[in-house]
Amino acid sequence: MSKVMEPGVQSAAPSGQVGRPVKRLESAAKVTGRAEYIHNLELPGMLRAKVVRSTVAHARIRGIDTSAAKALPGVYDVITAEDILKVIPDPYYGPAFHDQPILAIDKVRHVGEPVAVVLATDVHVADQATDLVEVEYEELEPVFHEVEAYKSQTAIVHDVIRPAGTFADLKSLQPRNKTNVAMEYHLRNGDVDAAFAKADYVFEHTFRSQQVNHLPLEPTVTVAQLTDTGNLLIHTSSQSPSFVRIEVARLLGWPENKVRVRTAYLGGGFGAKLYIKLEALVAALALITQRPVRLSLTMEEQFYTITRHAATVTIRTGVTKDGRIVARDCKTWWNGGAYADIGPRVTQKSGFTAAGPYDIEAVSLDSYAVYTNLPPAGALRGFGIPQLVWAYESQADIIARELGMDPLEFRRKNILRNGRPHATGTILEDAGTVEVLEELARKMNWDQPFDRGSGTIRRGRGIAIGVKAAVSPTTSVAFVNLYSDGSCGVYCGTVDMGQGSDTAMAQIAADVLGLRAEDVRIIHPDTEVTPYDMATLGSRSTFHMGNAVRLAAEDAKQKIVAMCAEQTGFDPAALVVRDGGVATPDGSFFTFGAILAKRHGMQAGNVLGVGSYFPYYEKPNPETGMSEHITPYWMVGGTGVEVEVDMETGKVHITRLVTVGDCGKAINPGIVRRQLSGASFMQMGFTLFEEMVFDEGQVVNASMADYKIPGFWDLPDINEVSIVEVPHRNGPFGAKGIGETGSLGLSPAVANAIYDAIGVRIYETPLTPEKVLKALREKQGQGWEDA
Amino acid sequence: MNAFDLIQPDTLEEALSLLNTDDPLVRPLAGGTALMLMMKSKLYAPERLVSLQRLKPSLDKVKVDEAGRLHLGPLATLRELELSPVVAQFSPVIPKALRTLSNVRVRNVATLGGHLAHGDPHMDLPPILLALDAQVRVSSEAGHRDIPLSEFLTGYYSTALAPGELITEVVVPPLPQGTRGTYVKFTALSADDWPMAGVAAFVRLEDGQISDARVAVSAATERPVRLHEVESFLRGQRPTDEVLHHAGELAGTQIHPLADIRGSSGYKREIVKVCVRRSLQQIAQTDHNGDGGVTQ
Repeated sequence: MSKVMEPGVQSAAPSGQVGRPVKRLESAAKVTGRAEYIHNLELPGMLRAKVVRSTVAHARIRGIDTSAAKALPGVYDVITAEDILKVIPDPYYGPAFHDQPILAIDKVRHVGEPVAVVLATDVHVADQATDLVEVEYEELEPVFHEVEAYKSQTAIVHDVIRPAGTFADLKSLQPRNKTNVAMEYHLRNGDVDAAFAKADYVFEHTFRSQQVNHLPLEPTVTVAQLTDTGNLLIHTSSQSPSFVRIEVARLLGWPENKVRVRTAYLGGGFGAKLYIKLEALVAALALITQRPVRLSLTMEEQFYTITRHAATVTIRTGVTKDGRIVARDCKTWWNGGAYADIGPRVTQKSGFTAAGPYDIEAVSLDSYAVYTNLPPAGALRGFGIPQLVWAYESQADIIARELGMDPLEFRRKNILRNGRPHATGTILEDAGTVEVLEELARKMNWDQPFDRGSGTIRRGRGIAIGVKAAVSPTTSVAFVNLYSDGSCGVYCGTVDMGQGSDTAMAQIAADVLGLRAEDVRIIHPDTEVTPYDMATLGSRSTFHMGNAVRLAAEDAKQKIVAMCAEQTGFDPAALVVRDGGVATPDGSFFTFGAILAKRHGMQAGNVLGVGSYFPYYEKPNPETGMSEHITPYWMVGGTGVEVEVDMETGKVHITRLVTVGDCGKAINPGIVRRQLSGASFMQMGFTLFEEMVFDEGQVVNASMADYKIPGFWDLPDINEVSIVEVPHRNGPFGAKGIGETGSLGLSPAVANAIYDAIGVRIYETPLTPEKVLKALREKQGQGWEDA
Repeated sequence: MNAFDLIQPDTLEEALSLLNTDDPLVRPLAGGTALMLMMKSKLYAPERLVSLQRLKPSLDKVKVDEAGRLHLGPLATLRELELSPVVAQFSPVIPKALRTLSNVRVRNVATLGGHLAHGDPHMDLPPILLALDAQVRVSSEAGHRDIPLSEFLTGYYSTALAPGELITEVVVPPLPQGTRGTYVKFTALSADDWPMAGVAAFVRLEDGQISDARVAVSAATERPVRLHEVESFLRGQRPTDEVLHHAGELAGTQIHPLADIRGSSGYKREIVKVCVRRSLQQIAQTDHNGDGGVTQ
């Protein structure tokens, strides 16, 4: 059933559209600079907004003096929360909690929080005027570290916590008022104490992940305008247009049909453009001024808008002498920053996967979303899972080595197999845990001797494997429209932010309808036109929207076949759809256009197919955190690396990178491969050197000059990707999501390889040369003093 | 970024006249790669920028004179220096170092003059030019003066340039026969990051003995500096492992590293020691026709 795809080997029949390495439909438009981005949108009469941001981490606002800014020639207006309140009386938004004010009200909770907005037709004038807005603060005690914030009784970021109740999976959130705990998730499976008592050895370690940034190359941008009827039209670089409409309509107390949200191609997203980012603010500004308003963040402002959670993970694992994991107790503190954003989902979704891809008798997991006075943290390519895999896969190697076992054998012994219950109680189905691990072992030549070098450059290798549950429950709806000439448009809310969803969706629709993917047109998200989609996040689109598109295409197919059957008198079951038309048993062939023309007497009409997909879900039991249907599918990713470590500088060079991912079925093998390696490279930056450095809540390196991301010279000498296909019974053509799979295992694989090379264990990312050398010198008893 | 006037003089005289002011809000603009970043981040908000672009034809020449001195025009872009056969002939260390500097987009516009006048210790050419005993000619309406680069670079983002002065030439004396050099660059973050430490070394070996050694360190320190103690220690020695190791250790005692997001002061000292030793080892191991090049 499962198989591994070798590069260059086609898996599908040449006639099929699914499995074809179709070139991106938008490639030519992108490389010629013609592709549409909201970033390039200009409207007549448009005002430009610049944000006045808090300079302190935690303070009461004593007063805001806008007079000097308003007096600057060219300034149209300066807006504060007072003005916002006139159009939106309760201006708090957020997907999990309604805790984030459109502009700061009475209090600021992080450096960079929007306090006021200057509007001008010239963006430079607006920018200059932001320096003239005087804000008087009365500073409060700030708190920055997640564990300190969890314990603090004096530095409280939010006096009152307000759950949103928008998403079904987050309805049961129970915040603790007068603490910094926004949300907590607990899982209790089996008798953990008894299981630990059975263990021969107990290992406890604490691992930390640092705060990092998504840094899409197109920073977040929103343009809002009023329509002729006074409705709102919002153009935004959003990964979740449907959510933006629902949330803006809620804030205004309007019906959804008065808010239109559209997007275009995104210059990257990675989770930075989810839920509400600038949309509520810009919508309010358009309403206040009655003019089109545009707000476009700078690279620097991205660091103060959304980040990835720093996390502290304390993991205790009980094992028997022969290497069976029998008990696990894991506590995780997520540094959510000042506003919850989607942190509670990170807390829950990641929380329940802390057992890893392992079959463990008893598991106890506690996961806390903690408010701090740092910029808000949200989802970033993996919803927190990479931070957890960092802990459990680093520890897996520590345990294996302590037991004198090979790290691969230790994983083989404990791997969770299909048919066995995951720690949540959900039975593992159609997940490639074993297949990914074995493919990783094969690609890494794990059973072969490995030259560890000598002298200054030492070599090591490491592996790691992680699982992620798809976010559930979520809904996708799609329309497939056969136009009067028989050509096809697919209306779906999936946002193509560079991941290639347009191409994949076209392939799915084309496969069902006997068309070429290149001939299918994808209509981009526009809530006026495209139906509901929860969001483009969490590697959910191929599975959920892919199913919706498939169902919509099947629906259209059935309708056009029925029409042809009626026209020809054949039984619909005898008709075959191929090459953009219907073939009848007598050898005749009717194009979709011909069938429609016959029906309408001329080139006219449509065939509209509708598809809606909503997987079965059972919410976790409030007592145990368990559920028999916690997720519609699991993503399994494995990473292997070979590294060279410079014993004199601590510098780590990845010489070979192997990324293995189970995608169920590669709708487009080329795109799957690049999603896997792209996620791997991104995670490599988070692993080796990316880190937001703070000083009293201020980001010291908030620019691309100082916050470095990997470039071409940082890529491994050898980069290999293996696609594993373990088809999922409910996936479209067996497919599962793949966008985050490459992120899962990389960090611990590198740390494990460093240990293999030089015998030093690093517990905190990033694995900078300084950390590596310091640990090595400490082991050698030769530390250094700062000058 | 605030609004500013951009003036584009056609001659050096005009430019010097426009810059002859004590007004700190008037600045020359060459490639602009550093200045624009400072303006965008509002670290500096000038009222008037005097663009030097139109002076380029007269101030971008690269040549070696009869005495064997290398003359570099300050408006030559880093890319032009990187690709110049004259520069490569004079010392291949310069083009090799330039190839690792930021990226080609930056090198296409950044100029040698701006690179030096910025006074940023994280630049790649200053340690090399320092080790090569380069002189900087600065001109103003009052005339010109020649300053050794070691005196030109006075501190963290500060130089000997007075208001109204422009760099009009950089002159490098000829390298004695048999001198070999290298530049060792260490980046702590991405490969295209600014160096956390840069070490330029030029060594002349005669009969297996070091007859001349010049070693300069940048990036880890508040300004690029020559390591004179290390140089005198090396003179007269044979480049054995022990000697070169000692040179590295000695280098560590001669510098005062500054801590920043790229490394603690203690770590930077360790890295400088390694880079100094490795630069010397590379030179010692290179045959007579080659040179140590640049390593990262």
